[in-house]
Amino acid sequence: MEIKRGVIKAFDSGTYKATVQMAGSLSVWLADVVVARNIPSGEMAVGRNCALVFFDETNPKDGVLMAVYT
Amino acid sequence: MRSLSSTLLAAQRSLSRLPYVKVEILEKIGGVMKLNWSRLYSGSEPDFYHAVTMPGDGSLIRARVDPTTYQLYLQRVMNPGPGSDFSSWTGITTVSGVSGIALCSSGATVLLFYVGVDQQTICVRESTDNGASFGSEVSITTAPAAVGWLAAAFNGQGVVALFYSVGSTVYVVKRTGGSWGSPSAWSNSVSAATGLACVYAGDWNLAVCGQDSASNQKVWTCVYGDGYSQSPGTWSALAELTLANAGSNVEFRCPYLGYPDVFRLFFVEKYSGTAPYSRLFWSHSLATAEFISNLWREPVPFDLSSNYGLAIAYRGSYVWLSMSSGVWRAEVSPPSVEVTQDVLSLTAETRPSSGRLRVELRNDDGRYSSIGSGAYAAIGEGSEVRISPGYRTTVGPEVSTGPAYWIEGWDYFSQGGKASFIIFAGDGWSILEHWKARRQFGWAAGEKNIFQLLSFVFARAGLELSSISNSDAMVNHYPAFTIHPGESGAMAVQRLLDMVPDVLFFRGNFGYIKNPLAGDSSDYGYGSDHVLWEGRYTSSAQAVNRVQVYGEGVLSESFSWAEIAKVYDRLRQVHDLNLDTVAKAQARGEAELRREAIARLSGETRVPVNCGQELYDVIEITDSRAGLSAAKRRILGITLRYSTIREAHYDQRLLLGGV
Repeated sequence: MEIKRGVIKAFDSGTYKATVQMAGSLSVWLADVVVARNIPSGEMAVGRNCALVFFDETNPKDGVLMAVYT
Repeated sequence: MRSLSSTLLAAQRSLSRLPYVKVEILEKIGGVMKLNWSRLYSGSEPDFYHAVTMPGDGSLIRARVDPTTYQLYLQRVMNPGPGSDFSSWTGITTVSGVSGIALCSSGATVLLFYVGVDQQTICVRESTDNGASFGSEVSITTAPAAVGWLAAAFNGQGVVALFYSVGSTVYVVKRTGGSWGSPSAWSNSVSAATGLACVYAGDWNLAVCGQDSASNQKVWTCVYGDGYSQSPGTWSALAELTLANAGSNVEFRCPYLGYPDVFRLFFVEKYSGTAPYSRLFWSHSLATAEFISNLWREPVPFDLSSNYGLAIAYRGSYVWLSMSSGVWRAEVSPPSVEVTQDVLSLTAETRPSSGRLRVELRNDDGRYSSIGSGAYAAIGEGSEVRISPGYRTTVGPEVSTGPAYWIEGWDYFSQGGKASFIIFAGDGWSILEHWKARRQFGWAAGEKNIFQLLSFVFARAGLELSSISNSDAMVNHYPAFTIHPGESGAMAVQRLLDMVPDVLFFRGNFGYIKNPLAGDSSDYGYGSDHVLWEGRYTSSAQAVNRVQVYGEGVLSESFSWAEIAKVYDRLRQVHDLNLDTVAKAQARGEAELRREAIARLSGETRVPVNCGQELYDVIEITDSRAGLSAAKRRILGITLRYSTIREAHYDQRLLLGGV
């Protein structure tokens, strides 16, 4: 399990998934990251920092954006 | 195991063995020569559209457009070299200020392409005397709108293909038998083109910079067929070489392609965010890869800031780079040196996920005091050291070309009357470890199988991958997979290998995939024909004998019942949401148990060097005192030791595992 830091680039409140710029990736984003439902959609503002946990570090679908902060 | 000649086999089994170890150093990384560029010209010409070619007589033909007057200039430098004048230009005509230009040549024929001031009419001038003089302007076609980029190349039959972009569409028009045909649009789709490059090698191979329909910036490769990898007159799909997401403020532009030894690509990466830059990057294809396979090493920054890139040309002994205000060249034949006679000692360690080399060379006369030039020009950081173990046989010295290592550093050892030069190097794992993801890499489930993902990582590190045998999962499992920024290639490879029962070993700059099966036959025997000096044979209970695999809504269990009967169950749980069928989960469980079965037996032997021995070979051991008669073991590590000083020796320590 790994915890990573990123920046929110986009958020879809319908699917509750985000596109995230992972720390260290200047030009390529990670898309379709599942967002924790306890985070209100209003807090998922583009440009905010976020924390992600990857239960399987190789599988982008097996993780969750668990916190958002400024 | 590498195959050996009968004479070498006889020599390594003989009781009167005479060691011979060939050691060569080549200025290559991953089997591809390292080009050492030296800049021959630094002028004040402004950066704008430009092109270069080298016709049959070896003269350097350069063209450029002035960004203020849009005057097209041409330059021909015969016998280009360090003393040449690269500053003299001849004005040709006024051209479009929004369109690229192109040069190509075949033998004494040189073609100069440009777009007229109307920005739509594509013209050509032809020289039949190696660019000494050019004929009058010929109009090829008039595009429906402003032309963006041009690229052109001859094939081997003198047919010329000119590629040009108009908005987001790329067109091709061919000249056959001196007559230009009608343009046709490609079958691909982009939303904008920011550069075109072309080189001919069996097909017209192109690099395209631009933007896709989602506004992502990319460098793609594609092939316009001439019958080698692609049917004549057809287009391959675009294959992504690099990517920048929309909104990242990164774009790619101005690619140039050449094929001096492998396909070599230059392009510009332009960043317009904080601390903006417009930087040259270069990449090359793998040593034996076809263009259409789209396997490129990770683009490397070139020490130059430019918006219009570097054009590449080559002929004879040199490769050339050109921009309006600069000319560079590099030798195409890499220096190499054989140091066999200077070896005092050598230790080469090969393990499942690492490999290291230490070579000590005599330096009593200071011969290695000035490496990197002259006879020892090949010796430098990153150069390849090739170790070939052998013996003096009845037909002379014979070797088996063995592993390759790449120099990490060296020591000079000086003490009293002794002096030596010690080289340290790492194998392909070291190269993989040094490749770090500089962005997020990701593949959706179903996009690439494990072998294709491994090939991608290998290529980014500059290495090639092949297969001796493979499991079904290696080619049928298409997982969602990501490599996070900062992670190494070695880590990515290890994580991919964890998903399959297959193993990996290196032979030179090639990694080989092998599926170790319990029924594999023996490659070689020790203790009978081939002496076995020492042995230690360990047997232990399996660390894991029961595996539960939790996938996406599926559970599978695998058991090693014989082991459970002995020590009761020892459980491992695997969680992998990529496993979405019972069959996949079952295969993963079996792979886990297979690894444990191999690890159950261990130990090591010391033997006279078997020149062909490789990792994961199956051997037979006969050692009556240990109760072993043709007992099968798998090689899990090799340490080759050779010394001509102190206590001279030439042996191998083989780390053993179960089959």
